[in-house]
Amino acid sequence: MLRRTLLSFAAMLSFAVQAQAQQAPAEIKIGHLHASSGPFASISMPVYTGLKIWVDETNAAGGAYVKAFDKKIPLKLISYDDQSSTATAATLYNQLITQDKVDILVADSDSVLTSVAVPIAKEHKQFLFNPTGTGAAFFIDNPWIALIADPVSTIWPKYAADYLNDEGAKAGIKTVAILYSTNDFTGTQASAVRGFIKAAGKLDIVYDQGVPTNTSNYTVLINNIAAKNPDAVLHLGYVGNDIAFLRNLQDSGQKFRFLFSIYPGIETEELLKNVGPEGMAGVFTYVTSAAYEYKPEVGWTLEQFRTAWNKANTGLNFGFNSIAGYTTGLVLQETLKGTKSLDQTALRDAVFALSGKLKTLDGPFVLDEHGGQIGEITPLGQFTAEGKEVKLDVVYPPSLANGKGVIGK
Amino acid sequence: MLIGAIISGLMFGLYFTLVGLGLNLVFGVMRIVNLAHGDFLMLGSFAAYWLFTLFGLHPLLAAVAVLVVFVAVGLPIYYGVVPRLLVARDSEMLSIILFFGLSQVIEALAAIAFGTSERSIPGRVLGSGPVSFLGQRLPSAWVFGAAVSAVAVACVYLYLYRTRLGTLTRAVMVSREEALATGIDVHRVSAIAFGIGIALAGIAGVFAPFMLGSVTPAMGADINVAAFAVIVVGTLGNPLGTVIGGIVYGIGLMLMQTYLSSWANLLPNLLLIAVLLFRPEGLFGRAVRRA
Repeated sequence: MLRRTLLSFAAMLSFAVQAQAQQAPAEIKIGHLHASSGPFASISMPVYTGLKIWVDETNAAGGAYVKAFDKKIPLKLISYDDQSSTATAATLYNQLITQDKVDILVADSDSVLTSVAVPIAKEHKQFLFNPTGTGAAFFIDNPWIALIADPVSTIWPKYAADYLNDEGAKAGIKTVAILYSTNDFTGTQASAVRGFIKAAGKLDIVYDQGVPTNTSNYTVLINNIAAKNPDAVLHLGYVGNDIAFLRNLQDSGQKFRFLFSIYPGIETEELLKNVGPEGMAGVFTYVTSAAYEYKPEVGWTLEQFRTAWNKANTGLNFGFNSIAGYTTGLVLQETLKGTKSLDQTALRDAVFALSGKLKTLDGPFVLDEHGGQIGEITPLGQFTAEGKEVKLDVVYPPSLANGKGVIGK
Repeated sequence: MLIGAIISGLMFGLYFTLVGLGLNLVFGVMRIVNLAHGDFLMLGSFAAYWLFTLFGLHPLLAAVAVLVVFVAVGLPIYYGVVPRLLVARDSEMLSIILFFGLSQVIEALAAIAFGTSERSIPGRVLGSGPVSFLGQRLPSAWVFGAAVSAVAVACVYLYLYRTRLGTLTRAVMVSREEALATGIDVHRVSAIAFGIGIALAGIAGVFAPFMLGSVTPAMGADINVAAFAVIVVGTLGNPLGTVIGGIVYGIGLMLMQTYLSSWANLLPNLLLIAVLLFRPEGLFGRAVRRA
């Protein structure tokens, strides 16, 4: 009797397992957009390529393990080219959700091209894996989003502002100029840094202007800033803005005691090629995982990923955005490992369950209750020139510092 | 700051004269709108970048090379495309569509060939340190850009008013049909003008890495908008009016950056709207164009 009962139980279990295996999809469709042309191509293509490297690597190992089906399932990356156009991106996000019916939706990089994905994903209750779109508004009253590979814009400039308020004030920094590009990413950072400085009450903001993101010449703006005689200058722009700003600054001959710029620390190779070591020497910037070696518990180390990147022969410069794409893949990998199904709510629960428990080459993955990334922080660093190369040291906060900041006389 | 903005705008505007000059010459002679103008400029930028990176060629020599190559490239493009356009009922509109397509193709091919990364040439190549001009410190590259633009304008002037081919070109600009009736080889004249037009774009491109910070295959669209504002202000079809258009654009841009920086990218559109509403013939108007 017992034997018959056990046999029938085993048969039922086997049937159930088979039925579950049958329900498993033949592939998991990951929908993504990238910009192969237009102003965001230089940011978007490394993210796309980093993600693709992860997909290829995962498929070469038989696919991603999905807990819900207790098996590895191959991945299919469907990535359309939005050409840096928000209008095109809006159409393509809709297509990914309604026509391709992707299991996982990954936004294009940066805040501008992510901004159109946010309402579409929310409307369709499709969870949005957002690699690097950091605009603060994305996370307000929106349960369908998580920021994967860099912190929300309001956190980015905290250490830069703290350093100015602390070490800067001690060194005699009294006045600050802020020049920013008017988009979600840098506009939010400008707003945040303005708030940090005003809250501390130690420094005066003597120049505070926004410029269009497609600004390519800063000579007059630099002269206007110099006319206000600030001790510190914060330039918050995209990679093309930073290249133009730093080149124009060199050409103008103007010097500021403290100069901060975003992209030298994010796309260091690209900035070095365009601005040169002399143009980057002394510049303060964010230190991302491209220049700071975190110990990953999942996925490749920085050097291993750099080797894979070079082997892939992408023709693109290696930088933070490359890591952001790969990190997004790792988060997808761990999400699939933990999800109870491919239902969007289950995916969301699985992502949030990773918060505080996942460490990649991009640092600790921690989400706040709104899906904003607060773990992968951006310490403040400063460049020094070393021949034709540059060295980036972390100078703040003290707990992470491996060098001491030098403020000009 | 006002004086600084005006002087900077003057120098920057002279460069944008060069940016718009070729576009206006092509429109003046053929009455077609070359929407791929910005992409030819981009190709000139990449030519200068690669010539400098691979062979260390100075941008001034690169400009000469670009001039020769782009004229040579322009001739077959003209004969392959423009004569068919000109026999169409609405050649201006068709040219917009056709050259928009060409623009997309050039940008896509450039992105495949060169990648999407930003490229530039070190500023020190055109002189180290700023130059003092009327009490203002300006980058050396601006002086080069303005000087090359002035030379290009002078050459176009000499070509149009001091050569036989230029006289024939002006005849075609006044009336293509009458020029044809008097036995002028209109296609030959137009092909040369087309080649010169894109060569001027290419030369402007050589200096773009210095004037615009860096270059990418996607830069053409923004350049087109600025170039259109310049030539509409300076009078469509009047190459020499482009000088005024460029200077108005340059000074306007620098004033906007100084006093209304967030709105600076509206300037080309504001200029276009203002000119089309209040002086559609441009600042130089019809009389000068036909002189």
